[in-house]
Amino acid sequence: MTDTIAPSDTVADAVRSGELPGRVWLYSNYNCNLACSYCLTESSPRSERRQLSAEQMIAVAEQAKNLGFTALGITGGEPFLIPWLPETALAMAESLPLVLLTNGTLFTGDRFERAARLAHPDIALQISLDSHLPDVNDMARGPDNFAKVVQAVPLLIARGVRVRIATTVSGALDDPLLDPLKQLVASLGVREDDHLIRPIVRRGRADEVGLGIRAVARDIPNELTITADGAFWGSFGPTVRSGRLDTDLLLTRTILPLAVPAAALLAASRGMPAGTDARLGIR
Amino acid sequence: MPRVDLLDSECAPITVQQYFANGDPGPIVGALATVPELLEPTLGFVGAALGAGAIGVRYKEFAILRTSVLQGCDYCIHAHTAVSLDSGLSTTEVRALRGEIPLEAGFALESERSLIGWIDALAGATGPVPDDVWSAARRHWGEHVLVELTVTIGATMFLNRFATGLQLPTADHVLERLTTEGLA
Ligand code: SF4
Repeated sequence: MTDTIAPSDTVADAVRSGELPGRVWLYSNYNCNLACSYCLTESSPRSERRQLSAEQMIAVAEQAKNLGFTALGITGGEPFLIPWLPETALAMAESLPLVLLTNGTLFTGDRFERAARLAHPDIALQISLDSHLPDVNDMARGPDNFAKVVQAVPLLIARGVRVRIATTVSGALDDPLLDPLKQLVASLGVREDDHLIRPIVRRGRADEVGLGIRAVARDIPNELTITADGAFWGSFGPTVRSGRLDTDLLLTRTILPLAVPAAALLAASRGMPAGTDARLGIR
Repeated sequence: MPRVDLLDSECAPITVQQYFANGDPGPIVGALATVPELLEPTLGFVGAALGAGAIGVRYKEFAILRTSVLQGCDYCIHAHTAVSLDSGLSTTEVRALRGEIPLEAGFALESERSLIGWIDALAGATGPVPDDVWSAARRHWGEHVLVELTVTIGATMFLNRFATGLQLPTADHVLERLTTEGLA
């Protein structure tokens, strides 16, 4: 196996030159309290957890830093269903800056207090909000999603937590119909550059219902993505279709040492034609 | 029915797609692709151990077919009955290696029988290999021949257990051919 492990400076060089994106994603778990219509991982309360351990997540963070990666992201599933997640995120942020994706609907009582501990200069929470119209937002994302998010965001910001809003759209990214949403997001206290607007990617459940843009590997940013099932090309890699994990973007089943999947990602990246990801705006 | 998903070109992992570029690469690749980082090193090893080498395909097929018979691996017996015939072994020799007729009826040369004796001692038993089997083979063959044959036997045993454990299916065209030849 040794010849498949790139020396760490190779990965660091690739990150420095932009050949590899700086961020490493971790799927902390696959289960979710919601079951959105476009979910890439078919997550729901009934999904298998397929959870990374805290030790694995912290090791990924440390090794990512040593290899020369520059940022981390945690996604799922809904990470805040894991009780120890905030402490683990804080430990990971010791290594690299971290963005933590959440649907923002669990922030009441104890869970809010645990999330509020994430007021840290190197941690941002990224919460999804798809429309300024509660009904439209909740159609895809489930009942009361809108109300819970607009309630939680200002409270988190007031406690010093940095919040980013991510909006997933099926139409044009610059649609003027998005203006009222942008105003709403600003009114919640979110910085303009912390509002991301991106397309639905047609993988997972979105593919089954025919939603979103078709994406092949070269369209998907080659961010190293770590899950309990292995390492993948891109955070849109470990999708699930009809209950089965997609393996087309699987890099390796080995996740640690991180140098193993990092080397496989670099090798695969060098074998791929130039991407069109910038045009599709997938992020 | 195979016990695992046999990946096809649609779901082949990005790191091993080249193995699927020219059509169905068969169930061994389809199963191994599930752990893509193992595919290349495994195929590299198995390919070198079972493919053409210094000792020639005739003796490679002795080792592969005989080992597969001793290990009771239907998948490899089927596949390498066909490969053995394609490599120029006679039906009688194949039957002898498959244990369907006495070894002496298939192989007149003591040198070849001593080679098969080494295969039988390795793949058909556990524990230490008797000195007399080694000495008998060494009278006719150089050390490097026996080392290479030993690698082939070991790699075949790996493949036998892989194919049998995961219940890999024999390709239809192989079964049809063996049925026609009376060797199914
Ligand atoms: S899209 Fe996110 S919030 Fe919705 S079901 Fe999937 S993981 Fe949960």
